[in-house]
Amino acid sequence: MIRIARLRTAPFAIGMFLSIAMASPAFAQEAFPTPPAVSQAEQTPPPEQHVHPAPQAQDHAGMDMPGMDMSGTGTTMDMGRMQGGKAPPDARDSDDYSDGYRNSTLPGYEMADKLSIPKILVDELEFVSGNEGQGVGWTVLVTKGQDNDKLWLRSQGLKNSRDRLDAESSVEALWWHSKSPFWGTLLGVRQDLGKGATTWLAAGVEGLAPYWFDVQLTAYVGDDGRVAARAKAAYEVLFTNRLILTPQVETNLYSKRSTDRELGSGFSNVELSGRLRYEFSRKFAPYVGFVWERALGGTADFRRADREIVTERRVVVGLRLWW
Amino acid sequence: MPPFHSLPIARRRFVQGLAIGGAVAGFAPALLARSVAASAGELRGTEFDLEIAELPVNFTGKRRVATAVNGAVPAPVLRLREGDSVTLRVRNSLKEMSSIHWHGIILPAEMDGVPGISFAGIAPGETFTYRFEVRQAGTYWYHAHTLAEQTGLYGAIVVEPKVPSGPAPDRDYSILLSDWSDEPPLQIFMNLKKLSSYYNFAQPTAGDFLKDVGTMGLGKALERRRMWNTSRMNPTDYSDISAATYTYLMNGTPPAGNWTAIAAPGERVRLRFIGAGTATFFDVRIPGVELTIVSADGLPVVPVAVEEFRIGPGETYDVEFTMPDGNARTIFAQSIDRTGFARGTIAPAPGMAAPVPPLDVRPWLDPVDMMGAMTTMGEMGGEHAGHGMVEMPPKARHARTEYGANTDMRVDYPRANLDDPGAGLRGRAWRVLTLADLRTPGGDPDPREPEREIELHLTGNMERFVWSLDGIKLNDSQPLHFKPNERLRITLVNDTMMSHPMHLHGMWSDVEGPDGAFQVRKHTVVVQPAQRVSFRVTADAMGRWAFHCHLLYHMAAGMFREVVVA
Repeated sequence: MIRIARLRTAPFAIGMFLSIAMASPAFAQEAFPTPPAVSQAEQTPPPEQHVHPAPQAQDHAGMDMPGMDMSGTGTTMDMGRMQGGKAPPDARDSDDYSDGYRNSTLPGYEMADKLSIPKILVDELEFVSGNEGQGVGWTVLVTKGQDNDKLWLRSQGLKNSRDRLDAESSVEALWWHSKSPFWGTLLGVRQDLGKGATTWLAAGVEGLAPYWFDVQLTAYVGDDGRVAARAKAAYEVLFTNRLILTPQVETNLYSKRSTDRELGSGFSNVELSGRLRYEFSRKFAPYVGFVWERALGGTADFRRADREIVTERRVVVGLRLWW
Repeated sequence: MPPFHSLPIARRRFVQGLAIGGAVAGFAPALLARSVAASAGELRGTEFDLEIAELPVNFTGKRRVATAVNGAVPAPVLRLREGDSVTLRVRNSLKEMSSIHWHGIILPAEMDGVPGISFAGIAPGETFTYRFEVRQAGTYWYHAHTLAEQTGLYGAIVVEPKVPSGPAPDRDYSILLSDWSDEPPLQIFMNLKKLSSYYNFAQPTAGDFLKDVGTMGLGKALERRRMWNTSRMNPTDYSDISAATYTYLMNGTPPAGNWTAIAAPGERVRLRFIGAGTATFFDVRIPGVELTIVSADGLPVVPVAVEEFRIGPGETYDVEFTMPDGNARTIFAQSIDRTGFARGTIAPAPGMAAPVPPLDVRPWLDPVDMMGAMTTMGEMGGEHAGHGMVEMPPKARHARTEYGANTDMRVDYPRANLDDPGAGLRGRAWRVLTLADLRTPGGDPDPREPEREIELHLTGNMERFVWSLDGIKLNDSQPLHFKPNERLRITLVNDTMMSHPMHLHGMWSDVEGPDGAFQVRKHTVVVQPAQRVSFRVTADAMGRWAFHCHLLYHMAAGMFREVVVA
């Protein structure tokens, strides 16, 4: 969570940050609560500590099992140094070893580190049954590219039996760029699906937060002048290495109302879900799940006006596939 | 059938493979004798004709296509003689480019068999003639320097010394340990690139957490996980690829096939172990038999008696022992991640078998595998705090390029001790070989002090399966330049949580002890997680060479540098 703040995606991140803050206790009770020390771990200590590490060593003194117990605060601070950070001015330059020589240009050179790899992840493809009727839901991510830059095609949506698309149904085309070992930035467009669809410019971040939280935060500027944001966070609880529960939270935020899509201004909804899948193979996993979604503010007013339910409860049965 | 230990049936089939796995022709019972007669598939002389071709095989119950040399997987044992000039005509009958690299053999650069660096590879239908003078003796091996290394293109090379150093053993076998997958290697690579934990089915579970809470309390259970969870590292990440797809082979025979060597009681036996796993370290032992390590990477070492040793991809170890009695003994080689094993038997007669030890439980990696010397400094600090006597291990000098997206961790204070058998072998009740035990008799073959040092860090992003040196993948890198005949020091610091067998082509790697003195000459140097290892190189081989991690998929992912001696 701390990382998110550090990524300086601030203008649109406040709402998302709130949503994550709301989400984490729900995950944490099943997982591992984030101790306050994480914030230390994520901060790069001042460089002077590199020079005199002996005081940290003392933190280990008197441990029952030296080298096994990681409770010393010094250790936690070391972790901060082991990841992230900026290169010191006197860091080595690996290219200096070449003395101007270049790699061979013979045919047959090992090029596998430059492969452009396609992946299609059908994260959710589900039959939905709830107090708003029945329908089909999906979350799909198609990626293609090399290690540090990829094309992302991302789509999510829900179509219920009354032939209406959920207000968040959309397709996005994004350029993903690896910003750090666990985080990437997103830049592109989002096209809403269904009635009153808006086209948006999109910018965001995604990645893996400490304690293995999958996070996607995206801000949007629409062709109708609205500003919006979407935040998603998920966690995987391994009951076994094949039976996996994924709790997930999503929330959406809009600067102005949209009558066509029946969205109010402010937070439009919050959705909490849990999907329990069984991986017959890594690439094929059927699941069952439960989704709780509540419309908020003006969006809830739209629903009330339509005599629709503000709080939806949905049972889902689906498949998670990738190749 | 020999007795197996109590694996569940389905898993037993998977781990053990077929009793008569191998070339499909091997189903003919008469050919079963192949696994007994070690000399079958052995070629001698100075002129060799080798053909690389597809071969239908069946190791697991599924018919697959392997890459064979002269119709054999593993490829035939080549018996060469020190001092001979040899000619090897290699014909590529595959539909794709292929190559053979003579691993550990000192030879001219253009004979080294690395596509794109030594030559352009061998095109389909073409024949490439390798010619070189054999200037060394011992156990080496040859393999494809392409993904075909995974599909069976590997074989042993035994070079007989011009002047025998002692009496020949009564029995002399080469034992090639490898890993077979029914999945094509490119598929394995793609799977790892898309989901790096694809083959790891031993990740910590919620159940493990609750168990720990029960035994050590909530606080300690959380504490145990904190380092791993904050850093998003997996404490069970020993091996990228497990028995979920691999069947481990001994001389091309799955465990159920029980490859057998013959030795009568009292006979002196030499076993030449070759680490031909593409992604697998093996922990080898023969329960009840003390093994004397007599050579490493082909060259003699001061004999050292152990009961177990770890062999990495690319390494070779010759062990000797006297067959104690008329009982069969199991040659047991479990994978470092404890998901499977290769297994064979040494016995006075064919058809005998001994109990197969159970697989060990996979422990979590130790904090030392991430923290390096920081963990042991705790002990030192405890004793000497305030006395100003703490001697700091030297700080690693990270490259500017290690602060980018390709490097998920850096170790500031790597450990420099070599007397660590490695994670999973610490605390054994018996003696296990460590790098510190290996000593070349006669001292430094080139006693010149190194004139300069090249520090390189072994780096990776485990989550994204990106592997590199100094955070730079092969195709983003510049080569390492060695000046002709200079003596230089290469210092490797492992900034990852996996062991990497680093193989420098064309020149020896003269490993230094922690005190900086020469210790042992090798061609493949295993660097453990968060460890620093230095070796000296005499740049006496002009031309372009490969330097890479011998885990095939790490090499493919970019943990590879070109070396130019010019």
